[in-house]
Order: sequence, then C-alpha cells, then structure tokens
Amino acid sequence: MFYRPAFLALAFALPLLQAATPAATNAPLKPKTPAIPEVPSFRRDVMPVFFRSGCNQGTCHGSARGKDGFMLSLFGYDPKGDYYRITQEYVGRRVNVAAPDDSLILLKAQGKVPHTGGRLFTKDSVYYQILLKWIEAGAPDDEGTVPVPVEITLSPDHMVFKAPTPAQKLKPTQQMKVTARYSDGTMRDVTDFALFSVNNPATATINKTGLLTPGGKGDGFVFARFSRFTIGSEIIVLPPNDTTYRWTNPPANNEFDRIVYDRLQKLRLLPSQLCDDETFLRRATLDLAGTLPSVAEYRAFMADNAPNKREKLVDRLIASDGFTDVWTDLWSEMLRVKGGGYAPTGTDVKAAAAYHDWIRNQIAHNRPLNEFVADQIKGTGSNLTDGPANLYTMLVHSTKFTPKAFASDFSQVFLGLRIQCAECHNHPFDRWTQDDYYGWVSFFNGLKRKQGAEPREFYIYNDPSAEPAKHLVDNRPMPATVLGGEAPVAKGVDPREALADWLTSPKNDLFTHNLANRIWAQYMGRGLVEPVDDMRISNPPANKALLDALAAHLASNGFNLRALVKEICMSRVYQLSAKPNGTNADDTRQSSRAQLRRLRADVLLDAIVKATDGDRTFNLFPKGIKAIEHYPRTTGDTNGNTFTDPFFQTFGRSDRSTVSASDTRLEPTLSQTLHFIAGDTLQDQITKGKVVPNLLAAKISPAEIVEELYIRVLSRKPDADEGKAMLALAKQAPADRKTYEDIFWSLIDSTEFLFNH
Amino acid sequence: MKPQAPFHTPVPRRDAIRVGFCAALGLGIPDILRFEAQAATIAPGAFTEGKAKSVIHLHLPGGMSHQESWDPKPEAPGEYRGALGVVKTKGGEVFSENFVKLAKVADKINVIRSIVGKIPDHQLATYQVFTAYTPTTVLDYPQMGAVVSHLFGGRNGLPPYVVIPRLSGYEGGTGFLSSKYGAFQLNADPGANGVFKIRDFSIPNGVSLEQFERRKTARDIVEQHMRHLEADPDKLNTMDEFNKSAYSLLTSEKSRKAFSLDGETDATRELYGKGLKLKNGQPAAIAERLLLARRLVEAGVRFVTVSYGSWDAHTAIKDISNDQMPALDQAIAGLVTDLDQRGMLDSTLVMVTTEFGRTPKINAGNGRDHWARCYSMLLAGGGTTRGQIYGASDSTAAEPARDAVPVEDYLATAYRQLGIDSTQKLMAMGARPVEIGGGGKVVTSLLS
Repeated sequence: MFYRPAFLALAFALPLLQAATPAATNAPLKPKTPAIPEVPSFRRDVMPVFFRSGCNQGTCHGSARGKDGFMLSLFGYDPKGDYYRITQEYVGRRVNVAAPDDSLILLKAQGKVPHTGGRLFTKDSVYYQILLKWIEAGAPDDEGTVPVPVEITLSPDHMVFKAPTPAQKLKPTQQMKVTARYSDGTMRDVTDFALFSVNNPATATINKTGLLTPGGKGDGFVFARFSRFTIGSEIIVLPPNDTTYRWTNPPANNEFDRIVYDRLQKLRLLPSQLCDDETFLRRATLDLAGTLPSVAEYRAFMADNAPNKREKLVDRLIASDGFTDVWTDLWSEMLRVKGGGYAPTGTDVKAAAAYHDWIRNQIAHNRPLNEFVADQIKGTGSNLTDGPANLYTMLVHSTKFTPKAFASDFSQVFLGLRIQCAECHNHPFDRWTQDDYYGWVSFFNGLKRKQGAEPREFYIYNDPSAEPAKHLVDNRPMPATVLGGEAPVAKGVDPREALADWLTSPKNDLFTHNLANRIWAQYMGRGLVEPVDDMRISNPPANKALLDALAAHLASNGFNLRALVKEICMSRVYQLSAKPNGTNADDTRQSSRAQLRRLRADVLLDAIVKATDGDRTFNLFPKGIKAIEHYPRTTGDTNGNTFTDPFFQTFGRSDRSTVSASDTRLEPTLSQTLHFIAGDTLQDQITKGKVVPNLLAAKISPAEIVEELYIRVLSRKPDADEGKAMLALAKQAPADRKTYEDIFWSLIDSTEFLFNH
Repeated sequence: MKPQAPFHTPVPRRDAIRVGFCAALGLGIPDILRFEAQAATIAPGAFTEGKAKSVIHLHLPGGMSHQESWDPKPEAPGEYRGALGVVKTKGGEVFSENFVKLAKVADKINVIRSIVGKIPDHQLATYQVFTAYTPTTVLDYPQMGAVVSHLFGGRNGLPPYVVIPRLSGYEGGTGFLSSKYGAFQLNADPGANGVFKIRDFSIPNGVSLEQFERRKTARDIVEQHMRHLEADPDKLNTMDEFNKSAYSLLTSEKSRKAFSLDGETDATRELYGKGLKLKNGQPAAIAERLLLARRLVEAGVRFVTVSYGSWDAHTAIKDISNDQMPALDQAIAGLVTDLDQRGMLDSTLVMVTTEFGRTPKINAGNGRDHWARCYSMLLAGGGTTRGQIYGASDSTAAEPARDAVPVEDYLATAYRQLGIDSTQKLMAMGARPVEIGGGGKVVTSLLS
C-alpha cells in the first residue's frame, strides 16, 4: 500500500484507528452470548469448552500422561478417546447423568472440590450451562453426525492504532471476533470458544475474551485459535506524536526497496543513509565471497569512479569461487555433511566427500535450486559415488533409518517447517494435523539401505512394497500424501518422484518462501521469519509482501540463486548504513538500516588468515583448505560432538549434530574474547604471516604502515584521530616489529573486525 | 519443619497495573504494558539471593549405580544385592562399602534415595539433569548454571558459571538464553599429570606486560571509531564487558589465583584425597577438581560444575565401582568437611548428580544396565537440612517406596535455595514464556 494522505488525515482524527476493512469500520464488535442448544453436541459444543477453559492444554489434562489421573487429548485431537475417558472410564463419576450437578467435571471446574487447575468458570457461565445441558441430556455421543470446522476467520483482519498518551482517559480497545465455517456451510461466532494471544505484548495485549488493548509503537500480531486452526491479524501501533514524521523519498533501486519503503512508511520509520564505499566493499565481499577484500582490491575499488562500480563488484563476487564456497558451506551445514570412519552408519569420509563435491558442483554451475533439491529427494544409489543419495545418510547419521525422524528433519531443511509436533497431536500453532503428518512420513516408509561391495558402501533405494505409516490414534494406514494434499499420490511408483515434483514446484509457497527467507537472511543478518527453520502461521514474516516478492523472484526466474542474490545486493536497503537516524535506532526487523552481524566462525577464521597472510591447517584435511571449505571429519562415529577444531567450537560453528539453524551460534562469549586476547590464533597468524616485517622492509613511513594495516584488516583508512593516536603509540616505543604487531593485533581484536556492519 | 519463607517475587502484576501505583512511578501506558509483558516473565534482578550463595555441582556421567553407592540392599537376594558390602553411617543407615568417609559425614549431608528420572538414555537424561527438561526439537532449554548466570550475573569480576574440566555435549547449553550466559569451560584438569594450565588464560608467551597494555590501548582507539557509528551500542557494550572480564582475569592476581591451587596446604589437599590414582595409573583427579571448585566459590563464582568418572557399568560393576569410588568418597567427604570448617557449608549448595541409576538385577556380564525409575542423588549445604536420608526405594531398589523426588523437584529445591522460584518463567525466542524448572516442586522437607 502506498502513502495516502487523505486516508491518514481522516484516520488521525479518530482516537482508534482501524484499517479500511469493511468489517472494522463500524462500532467495536461486542461478543454475543452464544445460544445454547437444547441438546449440546459433544464435538461441536462440549469439546470447545475444554479447549477454551484450558483443560486439554499440555500443562493440564492434555499432557501425554494426563494430570491427576485424568487425561484429555492435547487441544482435543482425539474426541472419541476424550468421550470415552469422560463418560466411560469411571462410569457415573466424571459425568453423572443421574445427578448432573454432581458431575465431577462440573464440581472441579467450579473449584468446589480440590482442583489443581483452580476455578475455571462459574455456574452462570455459558460454559457451565453447555456442560450441564449436555449431561442432563444423557451425555450423548455424536460421532460421525456433526459438521466440523473447516476454516476460521478473525476480524478485523488488520488494525492500525495510535499509541495512547498517558493522559488519555478513554483507552482505545478493539474486540476481536472469531467466526468458524463448518463443513455443512454454516457459520458460527466462536469468539467465546477461541484462545487469543499476541506475539509482541509491548505493542498490544489481549485478554481472554478477545478484547485487544494497544500499547507502545511497533508492529505485531494477534492470534486466535479454535479447533485445529490458528489465524492472525496484524496490529500496527503508531507513535503518539508523529507530526514531525515526513517521508524523505529516498530513491528505490528495485521492487524490494519499494516494498520495504512501503512498510517503513506504515511504521513511521525512515531508512538510514547509503553506506560509504569502504563499508560496502567489506560488507559485500564478506557476504558474497566469505572473505575480506585484499589491499589491492580495496585500492582498485576506491579508485574506480564508474557510477556502476557497486554493481561491477557484486557481479565479480557472485562469479567468484568464494560465492560457491559460501553456499556449499551453508547447504552442507543444513544437510549435516560430516564424514567419519565408522562404516555401519553409511557416513564415511568418502560418502561425505561425494556429497560435498556434488553440492559444490551444483552451486558452481548455478543449478536451479528446485532441480538441486529434487535430485536429492530422488537420491538413489551408492553413498560413496552418488552424492545426492547421501541426503538419506547425512540427515540421519545412524545405523537405523527412522522415517519419522527423517521426515521431521527433511521438512525443517527444505520447507522450514517443524512438523514433528503433529506426530502426537494436531500442531497447536499451525495448520498441520496428524493426518498430514502420517501421510507425509509415508513418503519415506519404503526407504531402504542395502550393504554394498565394501563395509562403507550402502545402496539407497525405495522399496515399493513397504507399508505406509499408521495413524497414532486409530492405526489407520496413511498412504503418502503431500502436506495439505486432498488425496494420496499415485501408487506403484517411487512416491519420492511425486514428492519431488510437488515440493520443488514454483507453485509450492512453502518451498519458495523457505528458500527466499534463508537467502535473505544470509545477506541481511536475519530472516523475515526467524528462526529461519520455524515457519508457521503463528510466526509470521516481518514483511509478508517482501517475502512474497523474494519467493516470486525465485519462482519466475527458474530458481536462479545468483539472480536473486544480485537483486538483493543491488537493492538500496542492502546498501544502507548501520548508523541509525532519529526513527530507526530500535529497528532490527524491517531493514531500515544495516545490522551488526558477527562473522560466522569459518568466515572469521578465514578473514584472520587472509588479513595476516597466515595459514591454518585442519586435521584430516590437506594443507591449504580454507575454513569455509572444511566440514567435520573424524576417524570415529559421526553421530556426536564433531568439532574438529577448537576455534570452531569457541566461535559457535555448528557441529552439525542437528539440522537446526540455531546450532550456528553468533553471540560473543567470554571464551571468544579470551581466545583473541590470549589464545594462539591471532598470535600465531600474526607472527607466521610476516606482514609487519615485510612492511618494515618496504621502507615506507609509519603513517603508511598504519594505513596499510587498517586497509588489510578493516578495509578502510584510519580516521584522523586514529591515525594520530596510533602514530603516537608507535612513537612511544621504538618503531620495531613488536609495536606494529600490537597495532595489527588490536585491529583484529576489534569489534569492527568481528562484525560485518 | 519450619514454614517455608515466601519467595521474593517480582512486583505482583495485579498491583503493578493499579493506576495509583503507576502514577506514583510516573509510568506511561507503553511503560505499563511493557511492564505487564515482562511481568509474565522474569528478568535479571527479579530475585534476591537465597541462603545458598553458590553451587558446587558434581555430575557423575554414565549413570552411577545407586545400589553400589548410596542405596545398597544388603538384605536382597544376591542377584539384586551385588558383590559389595556395606558400611554403617553416622546416622545408623548403610552406604556401600566404598563410601567409608562419606559414612562419617552423613550427619552433614542429605541423600535422596527416591529420585525419579524419565528416560534411561545418556543424552536425554543428562540433558534433563542439567536443564530440568527432556530435549525437544522445538525449544532448547538452558542449563541451570546458565539460568543462574542470567538471573544473578557475576561477582568480583569473575565469570558466574565455570565448568571443571569440560562438558560432554550431552548437557545442553544456554538454550534459548544468549550464549553470554554459557559456562566458562576450563578445558583443563587441575588433577591431571603435569602443570595445570587453562587454555587462553595467561598473557601469551613472548608478550610482555608492557606490550599487553599497549595492545589494550590500541584496541580502545579502534573501538572509538565503531562507537561513532552509534549502531547497536548493546553489542559494543557486551564486547566491552567481555574484554574487561578477560583483562581482569588475565591481569588480576587475585582472579588468577582463584583458578589455581596455589597456597593450599598439604593438609587440605590430603583432606580431599590428593594424588589418589585409578587402576590404570592415571590420577583420579577428583580431589583437585573439587578443591578448585571450592576456591572458585570462595572467590565469588556462583555456579561451578565438576564432572568425574565414567560410570556406565554394563559389565564388571564391582571393578568399576572399586576403582573410581574411593577417590570419590574421599573428595566429597573432604569438600563437605572443608566447607563446614570454613563456615561455607550453609552458603554453598553441594549437588551430586548422575543421569540415572542402574537395573535392580545384576546382568549376565556382572554389570547393571540403565535404570531411571528410581535412583539416588546427594544434596548438602546451602541451607538444606543435615543428615537426612530422604525418600526410600523398595526392597530391590527398583521403585520409590515413598517420597518420590522427580529430577525436576530436586532441581526446584536447588533453585529455591539460591533464591530462584523455578515456577517463574523466562522469555524464550522473544515471545514465549517458559517455566524455569520444568514443573518441578520444592521438596520442603529438605529445607532447614
């Protein structure tokens, strides 16, 4: 949406602003007391009471073992079992048809008898009345006769508020309304039976009945849950006094900029200035090629006066080997590429090398990402020679292939979904049901490994005669079905063919959004959805339009990684300074300025080696391998702690023991600081590399030496103060090797070096 | 038993949102809402210290047999009883025969014989002992040491959470908390042969103190440039903090001494069992580890985790026990005695944990397999009772006979003594309140 002065002028006149949705333009919606049917239905009326009152939550009776001797299915995934437990487990006790008021569930819920959960509702509440009437009617079951909810809507579907001032007497509020559509086409107001939450309580809070109160400026979402559905509405709260806000019309380089700007205007943020050339050179080189610019590259770039010199730089970096190294590293980390010496897991060093080389080859040739993924899904053959077949060994690192565990990791990597919740109950915060889950697992139920010609070798193949996975609740066989699919895929062939077709299709938003989000995260320091591998309805993107546009770029350009990366890096928002203006100091999610991002452990180590002309070798790898080309190799089992270099452990490189993106730690720690100050890495590399002796031998002035060191390490010249202070320091001591090595050391130990900015 | 003192809780939410209260503090609406959001969770500073000012947590990886240690069953049939005899404790109970010294200090410690774990798997169970949760792929939980570090911070320029010598990787980490609360792992063993030296813990060889200072000055010059950028002052401040800590550790004689055994008398070292060796001739090393832990706590470290031994005795449980237990016996007894003599026992909580116990019946290999349904742990000092045997297992040490203590309850009790109400919640991933203690309840009978 673009800036519309007329709309905003009107909107500011109202204490409560609502975006222009038809449903939200009238008086606040009041919840209506729902009419109670003569004979309440167990599934339609009674189950929602348990849901709303929290009885079937994980901390209460929804726990896998129940609570205090009474178990309900978590969030009501198993109404049949719940009906049995309520009415049959202790006949006449929990539900007493002869004396309905004495039913234990009613006494407990009112807190009339000791109840760990306390008092949930009173006798005059609609919840009590529903349960009572149902029991009075004989607590009938209604299996197979009741329409089920097929969709819910939440209104208003988005809201804009102005933050209230402390003096303001009438606080703005908004009553949310939840409507359910049932399988018979009927609609029902289920506000009284829904659960509400917000994801940014600083911006708005909500109470149990769905009354929303805006707070401080910012954006967030309110979520409603009912039955197995979750739905969110966006909330924007504007600062109370933003009369000074004026959009400055910064130039937009491309569509991504325009979408970000649109969002910034909605949130009353302004983008920072464009970063300077020195910063851009360093930022782009680290992001795109995983390394520092050399002194020669620095001087050439700074001397270039071409107006398109940033584009030329981006083109050069995207075509470099470094770009291939970075994306090979990122993929092999996600795919848990590690090689060992324990044959039965199929993850021998030779298998890891086959997979790693294959990945590198695909990236080097800019293979379309959909084909790259499809090849792995369909992976068949020897782990030692057929690289992509190792998807089925490396995501596992075990002698046993467990379809459920594999399906979870597979979804997390390729779709950014954590579907494993649905193994035991319908996903509480997303749309996935147990039916979805077991149908999904069945794609991998036929996956087998056969011993090859030698102990290290396994043949990966699909066994078409394998039985599908069985549903947890009723043991139904669940044939392979894509997520959200209506019907199983065709029988008789390798179901992975159909899986690959569906998953890597440009029409599969789950796939395109996951890729787009991870690619954006690499260049902006955080995904539009964070963590990048936890995409779900209740974890919405910081800018949905932007994620859609990034995904569309992939889908409409043949999943061309380099094309999308170029478009991102040529956007103005990628090129902004980290320096905040008056509006955006707190912004970390909307790309209004660059963020300080600690270098990944491998990039950091390579940067140190490059700055010092040093060298670093890794155990079980030939000399000359860079940290970014390194993947864990061990002589033993790969299923464990496989940090093979203490530097990686200290600086939080993922040891690839899980697929989780959070295994890559980027926070500073005391051990990291100690390692820089007192450890062997800096000391060794500085003395090994001979940078300072060579500069001294070149007979240049102290100021020139200092400048050279600055460019080498920080890709910039010292500012006037620094130049003076460093020279003064050099003068205090004899201008010998040690003094300059100390200055060299201090540059590498700086926060500026440790972070991309 | 005395009534339990109420927890120091953060300002009650109901009170906080009363208008008068807010007006008095001059809070605006956004502040109130922020306050309310935070009130759902706990932030650093919410708790004041309890009776226990520090923790020494000894973990025995592999799953130490409860039958061969704290909870022998001399009356049980041979295949349950095992091959070891017993020793009478000061309180008239029995420990296994290797715990001679511990039997003599049984009046100062509490042994819980009814610990209930969840899963007899090394990784999952170890994670639970350290975090109070079994691992999930959705949410990673922080170790108790990290929680304490987060809530209370450091003292005397020392890191709040130290591990001697290192963790195995099964224990989890800082979970959803920032890694700045993670353990400072020594990665060096004060009991090993040779000179005890912590990695990256001294000014590097060949660098003079003068040079060291010059580097610091030069670094300060470079940092100023980044300050001018005015971006993320928090990150710069964190780096500053770490640098101060690091420089203080590297240059403060007092701090560095805390990380060494220098100046301990032979008598003290011997109290812990100095120089005891294992059958393979290697030092047992537990004496020096626990002695170092005491020194760290004395200097101000809040939480020290020590690990010792390899207890996964699927075979030859008698030999494994006889090999590792005498040094363990002497070291724990020495620690308790030493703390008591120094007047530190009531302010130092001593936890001795293991991830599970072992099967009631001796197996075909004369070992015992994994058993999480009932086993034993120790809890001493830090304002707990003295001399209690709490809970009991049944006649074959298979199930709790009374007063079962789930692992979470054990941890909740430890948290309680530190002044932390483990039913309170921490903020995970920006917006998800997670209870500190995994549902654990305080075992009030263990509080003095």
